[in-house]
Amino acid sequence: MADAQRSCWIEEHDGQVTLHLGGAWRLGALRELSQQLVGPGGLLQALPAQRVPSAIDGTALQDIDTAAALLLLDSLAAAGSDPATLALRHFDPRHGRVFEVVRGRFAETAVQAPRHKLTPIARVGQISAGVGTLLLGHVEFLGRTLVELSRVLLRPHTLRVHELFAQLSQVGVNAIPVVALVTFLIGVVMAYMLGLQAEKYGANIFVVDGVALGITREFSPLIVATIMAGRSGAAFTAQLGTMKLTEEIDAIRTLGLSAPQVLVVPRVLALVLTLPLLVFVGNVAGLAGAMVMSNLTLDITPQTFMERLHVALAPRHYVIGLGKSPVFALFIAIIGCRMGLSVSRDTRSIGINTTSTVVQGIVAVILLDAMFAVIFQELDL
Amino acid sequence: MSGEGDAVIEVDGVVTRFGTQTVHDGLSLQVRRGELVALIGGSGSGKSVLLREILGLQRPNAGSVRLLGTDMWNSSDEALAATRKRFGMMFQEGALFSSLDVAGNVATPLLEHTDTPPKLLPRLVNLRLTLAGLSADVGAKMPAQLSGGMKKRAALARALALEPEVLFLDEPTSGLDPITARAFDQLLAFLNRDLGLTVLLVTHDLDTLLSIARRIVVLGRGTVIADGTADEVMAVEDPWIQSYFSSRHTVTPATDPGRTAQADGA
Repeated sequence: MADAQRSCWIEEHDGQVTLHLGGAWRLGALRELSQQLVGPGGLLQALPAQRVPSAIDGTALQDIDTAAALLLLDSLAAAGSDPATLALRHFDPRHGRVFEVVRGRFAETAVQAPRHKLTPIARVGQISAGVGTLLLGHVEFLGRTLVELSRVLLRPHTLRVHELFAQLSQVGVNAIPVVALVTFLIGVVMAYMLGLQAEKYGANIFVVDGVALGITREFSPLIVATIMAGRSGAAFTAQLGTMKLTEEIDAIRTLGLSAPQVLVVPRVLALVLTLPLLVFVGNVAGLAGAMVMSNLTLDITPQTFMERLHVALAPRHYVIGLGKSPVFALFIAIIGCRMGLSVSRDTRSIGINTTSTVVQGIVAVILLDAMFAVIFQELDL
Repeated sequence: MSGEGDAVIEVDGVVTRFGTQTVHDGLSLQVRRGELVALIGGSGSGKSVLLREILGLQRPNAGSVRLLGTDMWNSSDEALAATRKRFGMMFQEGALFSSLDVAGNVATPLLEHTDTPPKLLPRLVNLRLTLAGLSADVGAKMPAQLSGGMKKRAALARALALEPEVLFLDEPTSGLDPITARAFDQLLAFLNRDLGLTVLLVTHDLDTLLSIARRIVVLGRGTVIADGTADEVMAVEDPWIQSYFSSRHTVTPATDPGRTAQADGA
C-alpha cells in the first residue's frame, strides 16, 4: 500500500476520508508537492465536500519540515477542510511536533501587512514636496552655517584650528594631483580641437586666445568645482553620516559642544579657502597642457605661447574665474555637510545621501555658473 | 536522514594566530545532532573567531573544520554552497539588509535557493516571522524601524528561512532587557526541542547558560578548558570559570542592598 514514490494519496473508510503522506516532505521539494496537491489534476483540486480529507495519516512519512507542513495546511484549507480539526494518525512524534508548531501559527500566517502603494500622481506630489523641503532645509542650513561662521570670525579662538588644517590637507593638498591631471588633459584637448579649426585659416596663434579665455574663465573653475563636488562633497556626507550613525554627533552635543562649530565650520572654511587655490592649479596645468599640445601640433613654441598669452588674456577673465570658485565651494560644502547630518539611522541612507550630495553638488555648480554667465553678460564683463 | 547523535560540527586541532598572538592552539570540539551548546570564554578567547571558522568565513592557520560532513576549508564550491543552505546564522547586530523590508529579508534566501510556489511565499515568510516570535505585520517594516530585540528576532527569522539543520547565534541576548532575553532563550529551547535544530550559540549571558544550555563549552588559553553540563563545568577548578560563575552567586542573594554594602565593607 505505502508506495515510497508517492508523496500523497487519499483513502476512504466508513465515510472517513484520510489523506496519506509518504516520502520526504521538505522545503526543497515544495514545487512538486504543490503540483501534486493543488496543481492541474492535483489531489485536492475541485473535491466535492464529502471527499475533503478530515484526517492525515503519516505512516509512510519519512520526514516533514515546517515549510512542507505549511503547504499541506494551506492546500487543505483551500480545499475546504478546517486546519484546526484535522486529525493526525500514526505520526512519528517528531513529525507530529513539527506539524503542530505550524498548525498553531497557521491563522496568523494569513495576515497580510498593508502596503501603501501611491498612485503616480501622488508619487509626483510626494517627490515635489520632498525636493521643496530639501531646498528649504538647505537654505536654513546655509543661514545657520553663516551665523556660525560669523561667530567664529568675531571670536577667532573658537575656530577648531586642528580640524581646519586636517580638512585643508584632505580637501586641498591631497586633491592637487587629480586636479592638475584632469585640467592638463582638458588643456591638451582644447588646444587640439581649436587647432584643428584654426589651422584651416592659418590662424594657429589664435588658439592661445581661445584656450586662455576658455580655461581660466570657464573650464578650470567648472571642472575643478565638479571634481570637488564628487570628491569632498561626498567625503563630507560619508564622514558626517557615519558619525551620526555611530552616535558621535550626539556625543559632541552631550559634551556641550556645537556640532556646526566643530564639524561644519572647518569643512566649509577649508573648501572655500582651497577651491580658488585649486582653480589656480587648474589654470596653470590647463595652460601648460595647451602649451605642450600647441608646441607639438601647431608649431607654436612655448615662448610664442607665453608672449601671446600675455597679450590675449585680460586679467578680468582670470579674476572672474577665480572669483566664482568660493561661491561654488560654499554650496558644495553646505550640501555635503547638510546631507551628512540628515542621514537617518540606517546604513542604507548614507549611500543614498552620498549619491544625492554628488548630484546636487554638480547641478548646483552648473546652475551657479550659468547664473554668473548671465550676470557678467549684463554687466559687460 | 541522519538520526540523532551523529557529529554535525567537528573541529579538529584548529590553530589560529593573529600576528604573534595565538588565539586557538590545537582546539578540538564536536557537536552532535540535536544538541544545544553554549560557547563561553573571556574576551579574546576566540569564541567569535571559532564561530567564523566553522561557518567558513575565516580560515584557521591549521587544523580542520567539518560542518554537516563538509570540510569547510577543503571542499569544492558546489559542496560549500550545498552546505550553506543547511545552516542558519544570526549575527550579533542582526546584519539585516537595510534596503529590504523585514519580509524581503526573510524571503531573500527562499527566493535565491528554493522554488517555493509564489502563492505560498508570503505565508511561508509569515510562518518564519511567527517562529521567531514576531507578529506577521512586522514584515512590512524596514530594519531601521525595529527595536534591538525585534532586529534580533527578524535576523533569527531569516536564519530559519531555509529550514536549517544547524543554527548558529552570536550573542543572541546581548543588549536585550532581561524579559526579552528570557523569551529569546525559550524560543531557542523550543526550536531545539520541537523542530530538532542543533543550536550552537556564543553567549555571555549566565541566565541563558543556566536555563537552556544543556552543554557548555568553555574556551580559554587557546583550547577547551571545560565541557559539560552547567554543574560539571562549575565543578572545574579553574580561576576564570570560578569567578565567572561566582559573579552570579554574588548577585543573586543581594536582596537587601544595605546588607550587601556592609558585607562589601567588611
